[in-house]
Amino acid sequence: MATDTGGEFDGSGLRADVGIGDPQRLLRGIAGLAGFVALWHLVSLAQPAIVLPSPVAVAAEFRGQFASGTMPAALASSVRHWVPGTIAGTGLGVAAGVAFAWSGLLDDVTAPLIRLLRPVPPLALIGFAIAWFGLNHAGAAFIIAVGGFWINFYASYGAVEEVSDDLIDVGRTLGVRGDLDMVRSVVLPASLPGIMTGIRTGLGRCWMLVIAAEIFSVPGVGREILRASNNLRVDRAIAYIFVLSLMYLLVDVAFRAVQRRVLAWQA
Amino acid sequence: MAGVNRGPGPETGADGSGAAADASVAVDGVGKTYDDGGSPVRALDDASFAVDEGEFVCLVGPSGCGKTTLFRIIAGLTEATDGAVRVAGTPVTGPTTDMGVVFQEYHLFPWLTVEENVGFGLERTDRSEAERERRIDEMLDLVGLTEFRDSYPKSLSGGMKQRVAIARSLAVDPELLLMDEPFGAVDAQTREMLQRELLDVWGSTGKTVLFVTHDVTEAVTLADRIVVMAAEPGRVDEIVDVDVSRPRERGDPAFGEHVARVRELIGAGP
Repeated sequence: MATDTGGEFDGSGLRADVGIGDPQRLLRGIAGLAGFVALWHLVSLAQPAIVLPSPVAVAAEFRGQFASGTMPAALASSVRHWVPGTIAGTGLGVAAGVAFAWSGLLDDVTAPLIRLLRPVPPLALIGFAIAWFGLNHAGAAFIIAVGGFWINFYASYGAVEEVSDDLIDVGRTLGVRGDLDMVRSVVLPASLPGIMTGIRTGLGRCWMLVIAAEIFSVPGVGREILRASNNLRVDRAIAYIFVLSLMYLLVDVAFRAVQRRVLAWQA
Repeated sequence: MAGVNRGPGPETGADGSGAAADASVAVDGVGKTYDDGGSPVRALDDASFAVDEGEFVCLVGPSGCGKTTLFRIIAGLTEATDGAVRVAGTPVTGPTTDMGVVFQEYHLFPWLTVEENVGFGLERTDRSEAERERRIDEMLDLVGLTEFRDSYPKSLSGGMKQRVAIARSLAVDPELLLMDEPFGAVDAQTREMLQRELLDVWGSTGKTVLFVTHDVTEAVTLADRIVVMAAEPGRVDEIVDVDVSRPRERGDPAFGEHVARVRELIGAGP
């Protein structure tokens, strides 16, 4: 993840990579990671464990949590709201972004509402999540979906706005008739690179939102991080943070493989 | 010497009373005013001429003469403020597959292979799958790109891209081919090759071609008649018959006379 900025838009969409497939890049990445762990270890020697536990202590805690079954259970629980929340947020965000960018009428009608809702952080919606869905997976999925929605909405909206009028003209001269045919045959494929960058960014953001989504006692990785922090168990908190990092990495690598295949036509 | 007609001559049929039966394209008093808030801009004023079926007509003129505006109006991509365009007697109200359109910048669909680009319009016809495939094969053969059928546009040169665009527009078998400076973005050598290929395609298909260019030599190389446009406001200045026998040679004195004549009309000097 040497150059990966946590899944934020980096403009290089297809280039930001963990280095798989490029031995030199991979080697350098490993060296950087090893250097970081060594530095961490050195600094931790001079600190009490509640300030900064050593990597060894964190690894031991990770093993212990994993072996006891607590960690797999927490991860399974998080996945149960991450998956539906991410799918719903991504799907609705892309659909709304494409529709509002394509249709001037929808855009006019929704623009003020969008401006009003956009600054609301997902965390501020926890009350609604509890009231509408309850203290359960659905409530947590709602928080995750809200965060995923906005990233995908703006990425898709921007991507559709960027589609060149010339391609649309060509479509019209070749017999494309009606909004549905135009969106399906020209607008969506033309904006797919931008849409997929948004989806990729959203996948990462949704993992980050797992903590916010579990702040009201829904069990999961985020809940474990919060609980460990409250009990000053920094080693355990870091162990669970690694779980989030690893899940993000896994999903990101998998999605990039899909992205490469789907966008093989790109330069 | 070039035969010159002032405005729409008697043989064009576009005399304001409706399109002649044999006219493939009739442009009748077409004007366009752009009015977006500020002071209105008259981009095109009272343009009239006709293109006969099977004829090759070039539109030339300096920048600002409204030739691209006129092109877009004929293609049904832009609405005229006044006047009307009829293709085969039918008023143009929007783009139709009776008109194949080729743009300067190719505008291939980058996510489709060469073959899929050529087949794009065919998918919206009632041809069977087998017929569509046969047509794609024919078109690829016509433009000599059969071996690149599975390539994506990114890997093609400018000249190859324009061949794909031409094949794509011809695939649906339009009556009329509209081309807006199609060879303006390729190097001189490729341009001459594409001009020869276009004349071959024109000869073998008998399509009516309306071709916009700012290159006078190109117009004299290709056209049966040249519609010379003038600027401020954009309008049809004169229509020049190119009576130079084909195949045309640039060294031919008649060729040079026509080039000089058209240049003089445009005001670009001899």
